[in-house]
Amino acid sequence: MRFVARQPKEGINVSDTHPLVEAGTLVVGLTAIFVIIAVVLIFMVEVVLYFVSAEDEAKLFDGWLPEDLVTVSYTDERLLETQALVDRLVLHWPDAPYEFRVEIDDSEQANAMALPGGLVIVTQGLLDEVESENELAFVLGHELGHFKNRDHVRALGRGVVLSIFFAALTGNDVAGIGIKSADLTLRSFSRRQEARADDFGLQVVNSEYGHVNEAWHLFERWGGKDDSIIDLVKYLSTHPDSGDRAATMKRHAEEKGWQSDGEITPLSW
Amino acid sequence: MNFGMPLLILMIAYFIGTHLEKRHFQSILKREDEARGFPVVSFDTMPDNWTASRSDLVSGSVVISLDYFKRVIAGLRGLIGGRIKTYEPLLDRARREAVLRMIEDARSQGYDAVFNVRLETSRLANATRNGKGTAGVEMLAYGTAVKFASRFANAQ
Ligand SMILES: [Zn+2]
Repeated sequence: MRFVARQPKEGINVSDTHPLVEAGTLVVGLTAIFVIIAVVLIFMVEVVLYFVSAEDEAKLFDGWLPEDLVTVSYTDERLLETQALVDRLVLHWPDAPYEFRVEIDDSEQANAMALPGGLVIVTQGLLDEVESENELAFVLGHELGHFKNRDHVRALGRGVVLSIFFAALTGNDVAGIGIKSADLTLRSFSRRQEARADDFGLQVVNSEYGHVNEAWHLFERWGGKDDSIIDLVKYLSTHPDSGDRAATMKRHAEEKGWQSDGEITPLSW
Repeated sequence: MNFGMPLLILMIAYFIGTHLEKRHFQSILKREDEARGFPVVSFDTMPDNWTASRSDLVSGSVVISLDYFKRVIAGLRGLIGGRIKTYEPLLDRARREAVLRMIEDARSQGYDAVFNVRLETSRLANATRNGKGTAGVEMLAYGTAVKFASRFANAQ
């Protein structure tokens, strides 16, 4: 028998799966797994929410502040006035289970947040943007609406649960995760939640001033302004499109027969 | 918007990487064909009746790097485990290239065969990330090249 040198067969050590097929399978498969886990976690948040009442929540988070929140001085005039405005607005929500506390975050980005235990956070950016008390009252009323519907706990719960999940996934230190402002950006409300909060905000503003003039003025300005795209995008990351929103509010006020003109209360700053 | 850049890099890495891999495999196949009759074995001794006139250490080494596409896919695979299929052709290329370089080393010095062939790898750490990442992998093939004095002395 004569030995004939032959080439070895190709492909013994190399899978014949096309790299793009491999990539596709992994991306689709992993996405599906993550989505399922995320949905289960979100469902668990709903279950917890069902068993913890607003009163329990208020007790649990009494005096609580996010760890890394940078606030302004307690003697800041704007803080005192915003707190007073909230206290006045709450009178139109008779059996509110919370004692609302206002804090001003020193962020330049215009935003307002509802946090567990009746904590209302407004940013310096927002206070710089609002042109009248009526505008500010609506934003605060909107946040009260989130408290009423308990969107804030739902959203925060999701944010925290999901950030723990992603930390575990990427191998970060899970124990080091508290409720930080950074997590708050993970919060997102659905359009339906936002619309309900808007309705409640309008109702509160109407009860307080007897009209809803200027309530959506802020959103009209944001919706129409082109040079503020950056701010707008940032705001949109937690809230829906400003232009649509103003239109929806206008329609809602007309349906309810609320006056859309009336005296504007100026801000002291 | 945020995903645009990485995705673009991923695509560019994929196309360039695939092209280079294909070209490399063509070169490997061609050179393997040329080296077909040259014995490269892992025995550490020659048959008793063979005698060598001279022998020396020959080696072939190659350093390969991962492209971004392979790295990302391997990262995803790392979450669930299993065969990292995108690395397989990479290491296959490295192994075969190293052996080919060793053969070319031996042939250029006029040897007839290489015995006791061994393969080794070592990881090159990524200096920019505190040695955490992998910059590349070295594949080293080495063996004892032999020039036969009389291959079938006793048999004749
Ligand atoms: Zn909202």
